[in-house]
Parts: sequence; structure tokens; C-alpha cells
Amino acid sequence: MTGIVIPFTPHDSPIVGRDRPRLDSTAKVTGRALYTVDIQKPGMLHAKVLRSPHAHARILSVDASAARSLAGVTAVVTREEIHGLHSYGTYVKDQPIVATDAVRYVGDVVAAVAAVDERTAFAALDLIRVEYEPMPAVFDSRAAMDPSAPAIFPEQPFAAYPEYGDGASGAAHTAHNVSYEFRYETGSESVWADCDHIFEDTFTFSRMNHMHLEPFATVAEATANEIEVWTSTQSPFPMRKELARVFGLPENDIRVNVPLLGGGFGAKNGPKTEAIAIRLSQLSAGRPVRYCMSTEEVFLTLSQHDAILTVKSGLKADGEFMARQSRVLLNGGAYADASPLVAEKAGYRMPGAYRWKRIDSVCQAVITNTVPAGAYRGFGATQATWASERQVDLIAERLGFDPLELRLKNAKDLGEEFVPGETPIDSDLKHGLNLVADAIGYRDRRRSGNRGMGVAIGIKDGGGVNKPAQARVKVTTNGDVFLNCGLVEMGQGGHSALCQIVAETLACDPGRVKYAAIDTDNTPFDQGTNAASGIAVMGHAVLQAAERVKCSVLDMAAEHLILDRQSIRLDNWHIVDAEGTTYELPPLIMDRFGGTGFEFTADGYFKVRSSSSAPLEAPCMFWEIGWAAAEVEVDPETGRVELLQLVVSGDAGKVLNKLGCRGQDEGAAVFGLAQALFEELRYKDGELLNGEALLYRVPLAEDIPQRFSSITQEQGHGAGPFGSKGMGEGGMLPIAPAIAQAIADATGAQLTSLPMTPERVYNGILHARARQGKADSNA
Amino acid sequence: MSLESPESGQETFTHNVEFELNGSPERHCVPTSATVLDLLRNSCGKQGVRASCERSVCGACTVLVDDLPVAACSTFAFDIEGARVETVEGLAAQDGTLSAQQQAFSECGGFQCGFCTSGMLMLTTGLLRQNPQPNREEIRDWISSNTCRCTGYEMILESVERAAELAGAKQQDQASE
Ligand code: FES
Ligand code: FES
Repeated sequence: MTGIVIPFTPHDSPIVGRDRPRLDSTAKVTGRALYTVDIQKPGMLHAKVLRSPHAHARILSVDASAARSLAGVTAVVTREEIHGLHSYGTYVKDQPIVATDAVRYVGDVVAAVAAVDERTAFAALDLIRVEYEPMPAVFDSRAAMDPSAPAIFPEQPFAAYPEYGDGASGAAHTAHNVSYEFRYETGSESVWADCDHIFEDTFTFSRMNHMHLEPFATVAEATANEIEVWTSTQSPFPMRKELARVFGLPENDIRVNVPLLGGGFGAKNGPKTEAIAIRLSQLSAGRPVRYCMSTEEVFLTLSQHDAILTVKSGLKADGEFMARQSRVLLNGGAYADASPLVAEKAGYRMPGAYRWKRIDSVCQAVITNTVPAGAYRGFGATQATWASERQVDLIAERLGFDPLELRLKNAKDLGEEFVPGETPIDSDLKHGLNLVADAIGYRDRRRSGNRGMGVAIGIKDGGGVNKPAQARVKVTTNGDVFLNCGLVEMGQGGHSALCQIVAETLACDPGRVKYAAIDTDNTPFDQGTNAASGIAVMGHAVLQAAERVKCSVLDMAAEHLILDRQSIRLDNWHIVDAEGTTYELPPLIMDRFGGTGFEFTADGYFKVRSSSSAPLEAPCMFWEIGWAAAEVEVDPETGRVELLQLVVSGDAGKVLNKLGCRGQDEGAAVFGLAQALFEELRYKDGELLNGEALLYRVPLAEDIPQRFSSITQEQGHGAGPFGSKGMGEGGMLPIAPAIAQAIADATGAQLTSLPMTPERVYNGILHARARQGKADSNA
Repeated sequence: MSLESPESGQETFTHNVEFELNGSPERHCVPTSATVLDLLRNSCGKQGVRASCERSVCGACTVLVDDLPVAACSTFAFDIEGARVETVEGLAAQDGTLSAQQQAFSECGGFQCGFCTSGMLMLTTGLLRQNPQPNREEIRDWISSNTCRCTGYEMILESVERAAELAGAKQQDQASE
């Protein structure tokens, strides 16, 4: 342990930081919580879609006449019914509502039906005749970039992307089947000449499904001129904007309502079920249409990006890191979705937690005939951390350094810049690393008995780029509070934490604060619930709104009671003056405003200031860091890995809700442990073999190691309210590399591919023995 | 839940099913192919019964049938004829007081998005009826039949331990009264 004292929750804070049940707990434990799947409307119709059986095929004809005339069917959408409507996507707008010229992956939507019930809709799908002309398909990102591979988009779809600041650049369609490319460069090329060792390694990263339990679902009520949806989205306002673009309507004619989400993990960002439900409703005379996917359909809609990462690092003989170059290929699947953003992050985060004099990073998102890939917990940083941390361990082995010491030697200090123009590192990286290493007894470990330990750090910029957030706080005459803002509750406890901030500011019982339902007509603007921005970014807007409401109440009271404004304070909807005399507010307000009552409201706003010297246009709000340490025991006969211990740690900056912080880190860590050891979408010749719940294995309680714990640090340097930072993704980043190093420590097997299945581990052990044999015979 | 409103004109065979739901008698005429999930959500209005995979894998739809946890998505409605069925709506007391399980999950943060919670609570109820003082291992085994994608399970395991503790205390109170 280093000698740093962690500032824990100060005792003068009565509400923030307390271990109290979440606001949504009663609704969730009684079954009353309302999700999009629960929305019912009178006369509601049900939608189903027809999906492509081909990975790549030209559509010659679509005949839906029989489906249209089936009793109970109210509308059918084929390419004929979407004339004049636009395609969607982040930066690259390439995904139409239903396929037009061609289908691009198995599962691509070709037609959609609305009917009085799902069975009739299914029956109608069977009546739709589609003639295809199969075309050659390509599934792997390297193969897709080969000029001889089929061009998945013969014409380049519309694209718009940011300017970027110093050292960064981006461009669409830079190479064959590449939808987007991001580059980042800093330092001089000549640094390489000063390196004593240069190593180049290639790593592969597998693909997972989000497997949020609540599927994608939308209920839409729409006419040609007006659209209202209830939908499971993380980003109500970007959704409104995208729908306005797709349907060519003004934003004020579109209303997006967002109930609770049954998990998101990044999947619920762009349009999924919305456009189809809307178009079907428009064609069904405005009747409400519900489109809820099955789990199998969710598998055919979005996934994580698999990746091939080549990393070249140069260092001095004493282990000092000097230069790093990386080339990353992300498999973006058939449509761009959020691939450009993921490419940005996978490229930008390649330096990891370490100091380099030269960085040169390129990341390309490649189009292939597979399920589209998009935002996924950790967002590009999971891929980058896997390669980056793994290579540190490979280098440590080659040069005979202890992997922990090599990390401590090169990790950036608190306050050191990540890259020029970027926010300084706001956690003590070395402290956190020592903390998790000590928690599993790393330094006293015995490596006998096929046991081993590993540690790793993952780091990502948090708070999002160009994310404005607005909030409104409203207090009734009786002191009941409404918080109005666009933060979507998808399990992270964001609503509770924000309400705690309001309660703290207004010095009132948190039970009096209610998080108002989200609808884009009434909720103040927000750029979306992602990038762990809820507490740090939205938290400031909420804090500001609450402060302003408090001021207007105090102003009013001071004037009315003829008291010195500076000497009074608010306490539990009473005014307390300097002498300690308390005045009840409700009668005072009634008196003041003519006996009918009054509501105090105020708005808050926050956005990180843009800067042209920040590579991503604005410096990040905070650094989200995950530290992990793992101990494994490997069976050398079978390659089976038993995870004996796993410790994960995140820095909350300042804890607003302990249960919430802990849950975020542990939940993320379990995603990481599954990716490390078994969870994976498996393909054979481009065909997804396990795209359904029966075949796709996600972690269960029995997969959790006996000794699994999380340490929530409160280092106190966060830029969020009360010194807080965002959480929720950091815990995922370091898990796979820590487990990989534990396997290497135990057996000598240095794995470079995920997941680390028994087969891969076993082969790794054979390989390590062969290397060892060669080394022995050379000696 | 994807499948809704199975009562379509095309469904010719129907079936009368009588059972007890959270202590009250119920009688419904449903298509023969209807599942317990369809019946509970669509005919009985029990929205707290969740559904995700509809393949008896995730356990989000877990309800108790004669004290045993069952995947409602994969059980035919006609199979619960005469049975005692319990859903999450039946856990709290009439006056809204939370049951020990509900109290424990709420206190220990045994949920995040909450989509698995109804199923986890029913699973816990079933476990505690069979074994009022389960150890960690038994809890882990039992809970492993359901999926939670959010919590990392540790806080669910603690919630179940706490539920056993609270239920035990309640029973002692009742005994001493
Ligand atoms: S919905 Fe019934 S087990 Fe998944
Ligand atoms: S709380 Fe989200 S699935 Fe369990």
C-alpha cells in the first residue's frame, strides 16, 4: 500500500453517500415497475418483421399482396412504402427502415406487418414472397478489406463527422468496405530510434451480445404529420432528432416517451424498433402499433465489435515505455450503427494508463455481412485494453520484469496529462493498482500448483464528447419536489442519485423528490444516457437547477419576512433564521401569492467547454478507471480455468449511493469475466451458431468466484457534483487481461485471443512448454 | 414479452382453466396453446410477471406453482388446472407492507434494472419455503437457474441471505406473540 489517505465521505453530508434503498426499489420489488413492454393502448396492433435468410443478396422483387389481403392485417411495409424516407446511423447514415436494393446480413429486415395480434402478423409474413439473387458475402474484417472482396455498399452512404482537435482525424469510406477510420498521433516519429526494444504483437477480441433482459420494444402512434412513441431507448432526444430526419418532420411534431429500461448496456442508443412501428402506424390510420422483438431477434439486431489489434511498442532497456503504434480493425457488421464512435474510442484509448512519448494509432470500422455492431459497455476501451494490457504482460515476460512493477513504473501520475490538450488523469492509478494487488495477496503469491495471479488497469475518457445536459427542478407550495431531466433509468440507479443531489441541496427528505416521467415535449434537453455521464454531467445541471430553486425560495422568504437574505437557510421546507427561529413555508407562500399556491421552478445546464486543442473536440469530463486483480488455478490436462479470486475496483470520486456504485462495478466485472472465459457469439462461415438464449451462455450465479469483491474508492478528484465521477464501464475493462495474466503466471501460457476457452488454454500450455523446451536446449 | 394477445380468431381449441392465484380463485377460457405467461400477463393482468427469452432459460418469468418455481413462459396454461399459483404481486401484505424477500432485495440492492427481480423474488420464496436457512452454496445453486445481466449476482446472494434472516426474525416474532 502506498501512503495515500483516501478521503471518505465527510460526515457533514446527510444524504449524499448514505446507504439508502433506491427510489425505484418499491416499484421493482412489487412488480409495479413499468417498462416499454408493459405499455398497452386501446386498439393496439402488433408488428412482426420478415428477415433475410441470406447474408448478402440483391432483392429482385417483393410481393406482399397476399399478406395485405389477409384478414386482420392493417399494413405491410416493404421498400415501396419507405420511398422518400431517410436511412439512419451515427455519422454514417446507411441503414434503411427495411432493405431496399439488397440484404446485407442474415436477419436484415425486408418487410414488416401490422395486424390485430402477433399470430396474424406471423401468418402474414409467411405470405410475403421475396425473390433474391444471392451475392458473395464476407464475414471477417481483414477479408472484407481485400479489394477483391464484394463491395457491401456499391454507393457510399451519406456521412458527416466531427472536425476533431489536435492530433486526431477521422474520415468515412477510407478503404474498401471501411465505413469509418479514426487516427490519432502525437510526439515525434524519431522516438522509435531511441528505443532499445521494439515488440509487435497481434491480439483478437471476440464478440458478445448485450443480452439485456428486456428486448427492444416500441409502441408508436403516428400519422403523416405527428409521431408519438413509447420506447426503450437510452437517448430520447437524439432519438427524436433521428426520427425527425428519417421521417422528414419537425422535431416538435415528434414526441418520445421513455419508461424504465430493462437493461441497455449501450444497445439501446440508436433506432431499433421505432421506425418500423411508426411507419406501420402511419399506414394503419394512426392506430397504435407495438413492435416488441423476441430474444432471437435481439441477437439479429446488434452486437459488440470483434477486433483484430496489432500493437507495436518500443521501450528502453530499463523498462521505460517510449513509443506505441496500433492498428485496430473493428468488425462493424452490415450497417455502421455506432461503429464510427466505437472506432474513435478504440483508437484514442490505445495508450492505456501509461506514459508514452510517441503515439500513433489508427482504427478502422469495417463493413461485413454480419449482424451490425454498436455501442457496448466499455465502448472501444474493452478492445483497446485487452491488447494494450496483454502486451504489457508479454513484454514483462520477455524482458524479465514483474508485470505489476512494469505497470507501476510506467503508469501516469495523478494530474499528468493523458495526451496533449486532454484532461489530466484524476485518479491515483498506482494507488488503485496496489490496492487490488494487495487485496488478493499478489506480492506473497506462490506460483506452485498451477496457480497464478494477474493485475490490470483499464482507463477510458468519461462523460461523453459534446454532451449538453439540462435539468429542471420544481417545488410545490407544500415542498414536494419534481426533478425533470432526460437521464434514463436502465438499472444504474441514476434517478436515485440525482434525486439525492436535489434533496441534499434543498435540505429536504429524499422521499419528497420525485423523478418526473421522461417525454421529449416536457423534459429538458439531454444528449443521452451513456458514457457514464449521468452523475458527472447531468449531476451538475441538476445541482445548478436545485441551487437556483433554493435561491428563489430564500429570496422570496427574506423579502416577505423582512430578514437578511444571507442569514437564513432552508431546512425541511422551513426557513431557519440566524437565531434558529423556524418559519413554515406553506402558509408563508400562500400569504405571499394570493392564497392559491405557487410552484418554484428553475433550470440548470452543463456542458464541458469545447477546445480545439482537445483531440476529441472537448476534454473529457473525468477518467473512468477500472483496476482488477485475479487468481486462477489451471488444470494443465484439460486447460480448464478456475477463477479463485477476483477483485475489481473503481474510483467513484465521491460516492453518492454506495449500493449503486458497488452494483455498477460488480455488474461490469461479471461482463468482463464472461468475455474472458466463455461468453461469445460463435460463427461458422458467417452463420451465427448460438443466436438464442438456449445456446448463448451468459454468466450465472454459479460462475461467480467464491472470492469476488469490489472496492469502491473515493479518491475525491472527480469533476462531478461533490467530487463524484461516472461509473459503470470501468469495471469491465481490466478483467480479461488480469485473468489472462493470471493464467500466464500459473502455466506460462500467454493467450492473445478471447475467450480463453479450455482448448485455447490447453494449446497455450503446449506452446509454452515447447518454448520452454527450446529455451532449455539453447541454454 | 413478445407474444401478446393470443386470442385470435384462428385459434379454434380453447380450454377452461381454474386455479388459485395469490390466494383468490380464477377461471379463464384460453386457447389450448396458451402458456401460463400469456394467461397471467394478458388475462389476469399480472404485469409483474416478466418475460425475456421465452425459452425457459432466463427465469425472468418464474412463478410458484404449488410452492415450486416454474418458468411461466414454458408451461401450458392447462397444466395449472387446480394448482396454487403465486406471482410477485402476492408477496406484499394487503396493506402494502413488503415481505421479507422484498424488504431484503430493496435493502441490499439486489436489483438494478429490475427486469429479473420478480423471478428472483419468486425463486427466493420457493427456496426459503423448502429451506428456511440456506447456506451460501445452496443459495448460489438455487439462484443459478435464473439470469441477471446487471448486478454481478453478489448483491443478489446477499439479498437472499438477508431475506432468510428477516423471515426467520418475523417467524420468531409471531411465535412469541
Ligand atoms: S422468459 Fe421464461 S425463462 Fe426466460
Ligand atoms: S437487475 Fe437487470 S437483469 Fe437483474
